[in-house]
Amino acid sequence: MAHAATHDHHDDHHGAPSNFFVRWCMSTNHKDIGTLYLVFSLLMFFIGGSFAMVIRAELFKPGLQLVQPYFFNEMTTMHALVMIFGAVMPAFVGLGNWMIPLMIGAPDMALPRMNNLSFWILPFAFALLLSTLFLPGGGPAGGWTMYPPLSLQGDSVAYLVFAVHLMGISSIMGAINIIATILNMRAPGMDLLKMPVFVWSWLITAFLLIAVMPVLAGAVTMLLTDKYFGTSFFNAAGGGDPVLFQHIFWFFGHPEVYIMILPAFGLVSEIIPTFARKPIFGYKAMVFAIASIAFLSFIVWAHHMFAVGLPLGGEIFFMYATMLIAVPTGVKVFNWVSTMWGGSMTFETPMLFAIAFVILFTIGGFSGLMLALAPADFQYHDSYFVVAHFHYVLVTGAIFAIIAGTYYWLPKWTGHMYSEFWGKMHFWNSVIWVNVLFFPQHFLGLAGMPRRIPDYNVAFANFNMISSIGGFLFGASQLIFVGVIIHAVWFSKKKAPDRVWEGAKGLEWTVPSPAPFHTFELPPVIHDEELAHGHVED
Amino acid sequence: MNQSKATIEEVRKKGVRRTVTVFGAIAIGIFLLSLLQGLKYS
Repeated sequence: MAHAATHDHHDDHHGAPSNFFVRWCMSTNHKDIGTLYLVFSLLMFFIGGSFAMVIRAELFKPGLQLVQPYFFNEMTTMHALVMIFGAVMPAFVGLGNWMIPLMIGAPDMALPRMNNLSFWILPFAFALLLSTLFLPGGGPAGGWTMYPPLSLQGDSVAYLVFAVHLMGISSIMGAINIIATILNMRAPGMDLLKMPVFVWSWLITAFLLIAVMPVLAGAVTMLLTDKYFGTSFFNAAGGGDPVLFQHIFWFFGHPEVYIMILPAFGLVSEIIPTFARKPIFGYKAMVFAIASIAFLSFIVWAHHMFAVGLPLGGEIFFMYATMLIAVPTGVKVFNWVSTMWGGSMTFETPMLFAIAFVILFTIGGFSGLMLALAPADFQYHDSYFVVAHFHYVLVTGAIFAIIAGTYYWLPKWTGHMYSEFWGKMHFWNSVIWVNVLFFPQHFLGLAGMPRRIPDYNVAFANFNMISSIGGFLFGASQLIFVGVIIHAVWFSKKKAPDRVWEGAKGLEWTVPSPAPFHTFELPPVIHDEELAHGHVED
Repeated sequence: MNQSKATIEEVRKKGVRRTVTVFGAIAIGIFLLSLLQGLKYS
């Protein structure tokens, strides 16, 4: 057993400062910082979601109804920036902060003070970004991709660039911390190929972050100097090239997509074996598939630019390289299905979200394959088909996995069981309305509706109305999630056992629920049978 | 037990310092490289 180094229940709050400011603002505890990340992410999820509600309200009917076109463009831009950098990424960092030390038997993150700084940069970054909405000239409205020269219009460029720099610094510090923790802080006996898949997925994601966030920093720095210091990196009149920005941006941007999905793969790879009561099928194949996807993510960036006028050889290379990603992704999907095959499955809320992830993420993957075909992409490019594709990947993919992970570990965090009834209500409402929201957007795109427009041809009216109704109800459904969390934290009477789920394996289930403030101060003695992957064959 | 804990912490500290130096340098290097790419192609 691995409990030797954990505290008894009566020591649960040993070391937790009683002063609110000291505990939360000056925290160096991985669990508290993880909680801060998760709460921040939830807040950003609702702010970004409210922008999405504005977009869907405007698109409810053809014609301009509620907002001016410039404000609409601000909403599409800010929705993406807030959801990507404020909601999805911090949620994964929060889950990683909370769970990685617990899963590898480490007492904390390797660099606890840097961990605090990584988090506390974020509120300032987003305050800076969101404050642009109140500037006299308005906020950024050129899309989250910030293509020049469009993005250089207006006076909010400096705010946007500094906000992106802050987010980048936070992400890089977080990634270095996670790599340092996983490589150096594992308990003796926790070999690399015995680590949970979630830990592996985060290790590989952290490498991606360190490789590409500085590229984004470089790109936005050049935007800033083009705007305010007279350089011409992307200004054709001065000898620069606007397409260069697109290359640099997407060299960051495509791996960024995988930064948002690889930890989701890790989460689902933890949840499915637990509720299928079987070890994951093909553990090593899962790890190598994640690594392969990460490698391939560096050589596919120009598939976002098929319509820009690439040389034919480039189009063919990027098309085939992109399609190659389907191979390791297919390995993962088949391994999840094989894990469930013949298992003693039960369908608690985390498992429901995980199964929905597998099915709906695969739909997003298939539409991705359609977009990877260069000749077909000329038709799909910048249409609502693209919007449908990446929302299937990011909402029913990344966000569903985050929700699944939250339900999975919530009893471990709070010490109380959440309401399974309301969890399931949340699931069924989410899964129905998210499809009503995004599935019709495939048809809109195929019929030719462009993205990022506040008004459209009446031919698109019906599907837009259906999509908007789905959007409002999907948004409202997330209030159930907040209710379930509040209930579990403050009101639930049902105590969670140490091993919350019957089929759960791994070190995190050997500590009490709620997890004590300090865990594994002495490295645990690890026995293979305690680990999910303790008996991996060479 | 305390001695082994101290040894483990020392090994961890060294490893963490090395990891931070290497990956911090990589991040700064990539940032500078991306600016150089901008200079080269514009």
